Amino acid sequence: MSAAEELKIVFTGPMGAGKTTAIAAVSDVPPVSTEMRNHDQASFAKAATTVALDLGHIGLDDGTIVRLYGTPGQERFSFMWEILGRGSMGVILLLDGSNPDVLAELRKYATVFRGIAPEQPFIVGLGRARPGDDEQLDDCAAVLKSLHFSAPIFSVDVRRREDVLLLIETLLTSLEVREQDLS
Amino acid sequence: MTISKQRFDPALMRLGAQHLEAFALANPDVTLAVLTSGDGFEVAAYPPGQQTSARIAAMSSSMQALSEALTREAGLTDNRNLIIETGSGTVMILGLASTPPLSLAIVAKSGELLGKLLWASRNLGAKLESSLRK
Repeated sequence: MSAAEELKIVFTGPMGAGKTTAIAAVSDVPPVSTEMRNHDQASFAKAATTVALDLGHIGLDDGTIVRLYGTPGQERFSFMWEILGRGSMGVILLLDGSNPDVLAELRKYATVFRGIAPEQPFIVGLGRARPGDDEQLDDCAAVLKSLHFSAPIFSVDVRRREDVLLLIETLLTSLEVREQDLS
Repeated sequence: MTISKQRFDPALMRLGAQHLEAFALANPDVTLAVLTSGDGFEVAAYPPGQQTSARIAAMSSSMQALSEALTREAGLTDNRNLIIETGSGTVMILGLASTPPLSLAIVAKSGELLGKLLWASRNLGAKLESSLRK
């Protein structure tokens, strides 16, 4: 990766997966937030929800700026998925492992974002995973395999800066490996 | 929309529908008026039953939130309205000082003068705010 680049990566995933929290955990500046009162408590019981985007950034040692965009999770905001996904250098999909529909969510978001950014690295962060249950990660890998691609999958706590950095660093490493392969 | 009927106070929805209808009838170049919750749900729309109104509601709430974020980033205050002028018409989005936070999306054909539309839309917003305070 050349020095002083600007990279755009996108955090996506269903409502309540922790996209806003993840970006706030690592951003060098307070992120731009578009949270509004949540009227859809049936889908996820939380006070506020992102309706347009989150935007933060982190600076790397070589001067590269990584812009971190978070999407809204709900399907009614899917027009923002396309807008934010366009031109991204990679996608980090966050999932809620305590959601019984987690595999269906993985299939949905992976399909949509592979369509929007088909050539870019794709990383999955599984939050609130069942403790000691590696099968859940295996099940996620099987879903991706059924979609004919593979991606690193990590069990993460998005409130922890180091966990979110792990996802970002893995994505950046994937980009570097691809650049080396192409050169 | 069935879901939003369960989500919002029916009195709020009735009030919104009445105001939007009166507004649209007084401003014939207005093709769609949608009252939207901050998180992108349609509270009321005129004309009712339009397929696009739910999409316009979600999009306008995103744009309202973005314009408020931009206002903050620019060090400005009191975000008032967002105007999109096109070759064939105008879209106006106005945030309401209300609880819960609501916004208005107004779509008008190009025959409507921008200043008149803005004046009428602000009046509608003020009437809604006043009614919601009661």
